[in-house]
Parts: sequence; structure tokens; C-alpha cells
Amino acid sequence: MLAAVLLLALAHMPEADAMDEAQWLARAAVAAADNRNAPFAVIDKRKARVFVFDATGRLQASSPVLLGLARGDDSVPGIGERAMSEIRPEERTTPAGRFATEPGLNTKGEDIVWIDYDAAVSMHRVRATQKSERRLQRLASPTVADNRISYGCVNVPAAFYDAYIKPVLGSRRGVVYVLPETMAAHKRFEFLSRSEQKLTRRGFTPAG
Amino acid sequence: MNSTSRLLAALALGAAGAAFAQGNPPTTAPANPATAAGQQNPSGGPMGTTGVTPESGAAARTTTPPTVQSPPDTSSSSRTTMAASGDTPAMRRARADRN
Repeated sequence: MLAAVLLLALAHMPEADAMDEAQWLARAAVAAADNRNAPFAVIDKRKARVFVFDATGRLQASSPVLLGLARGDDSVPGIGERAMSEIRPEERTTPAGRFATEPGLNTKGEDIVWIDYDAAVSMHRVRATQKSERRLQRLASPTVADNRISYGCVNVPAAFYDAYIKPVLGSRRGVVYVLPETMAAHKRFEFLSRSEQKLTRRGFTPAG
Repeated sequence: MNSTSRLLAALALGAAGAAFAQGNPPTTAPANPATAAGQQNPSGGPMGTTGVTPESGAAARTTTPPTVQSPPDTSSSSRTTMAASGDTPAMRRARADRN
């Protein structure tokens, strides 16, 4: 029954190339009930943006974000236990996939949203403590390439965080989907893989 | 009762009270002079170990010191003691993020 609903929903979707991939993924997640009937967020690393959706998959807002410096979709094992000074540039990735988020605190008492607690990856208000990193300027610039600066965390403009991220993910468990940048989306999201064969037969190929 | 009897009775009562008050005199010869008389457990057990019943003799001397509270578990499953229900999770131990 669920698969039928999912296929029906996907069949009425335009190809991923023709629409924003984040919105495409959001619709697929809602069709598969993967979001557990709750609001959620999708992070598109290629576009360096976060998209916040309501429980029905309707886009509420989006914003540029800062992401991990390194290109890659996995966290180095054990990186969450290492000091920042021990993390090499090529290890500063923002992992991709489906993450069950939870509100939390960092050691400075700042309220954040844990994306991957074990890997110490969170979503938080942008931090401009290191002037040389020019994080605020990077967020404000129209280019995407310079949004790669963090050690893996997702930096969100403070106003956007307070207006959209905190209400949706800051007080309860939630779901964040981080689109991969080195592989096709269906390789990271189980609910897409379930219908992969049928989708391929229909000539539908999730963006990769 | 004449005044002499009353006086004797008052003196006797006062002496008895003083005797009661001095029933547990301070230690004048502490076992460890370095600690002076100080405050000591009358049963010989360690001081400041609430919840531990003092024991006498060898048992008291071999009492295991109180276990130091270990730091919070650093594993990924570590949680505080806050109750969790539904989508409102118990907040995990604060930790550094990857900025």
C-alpha cells in the first residue's frame, strides 16, 4: 500500500532535472511517510542551501548555509572525538544521508540541532568568531564555492535559525536530509531505493 | 521542709544535672595526635561517609572508601537522566561540535 502511494506520488513528479532536487526529495519523503508526518529540512550541498518543509512537504523557507570545507559525503570514523586542531582539511566533510536530529547544547551552552551527534555535526547559527574565515561574508555572497568553510557543521544565518530551524527542529526530534554531492541521491536514501527498479523502468532517474 | 533541706535538695539536683552534662566528656587523648581531638566518629568509622553504617574492629578499618562518581559516559548513547517521551528527547550531554 505504502509502495503504491509512493509510486503514485513519484509518477506525478517532473524529472529531477526539471525541478529543484530538494523539493523533489521532500515530496518523495512525504509520499513514503519517511518524515513521520513532521516538518523537516533538506540540505542541498551542491547549492549550499537549506530548505525547510512542513509536514506535507510544502516549502516554508530556504537559506544559504555554510558547509564542511571538504567535498565528500561521509564522516571520517572517529572524527567526533578528535580535537578541531587534529582534523585535516580533507576530513572537513558534511556527511550526506537521512539524519534523525535532536536538539542539544554544545560545550559553550549554545542551543544547536544535532545532525549527527557521534560525528559532532550540528546545525547552528553562523559563528563569526574567526574573523579570517569571513563566514558572514561567505554567507552573504551569491557564489556557492565560498560557502565551504566549516569543519562539518551546517552554519545558518542567525535570523533564519531562530525563525525556522529552531521552531521545527530545536525542541523535538526531527529529520534532516542531506543530499549527497558525490553520488546519486537514491544511494543515500533508503526510501528511494525501494522503488528504484520501478522508477528506472519508467525512465525516471533521480539526479546524481 | 525547712530552708536547709531546700538548699540541700537544690544542690543535689544541680550536681546530678552537671553529672548528666558531663556524661560524654571530650577526648583528652586522641588516637592520632595529629588530628587533635577534633570531631570523631564514636564507632571508629570514617567521617563524612553518609549512608555508610560504621562498623567496629577490623571491619571498620577495611571499609571500602566511597566510590568516586565517574564522569558521564562519553559513548554515543549517553543521556542525562531527564525523562524522554515521544518526540521530546532527553538532551544528550553537551559536547563540542565541528563548528
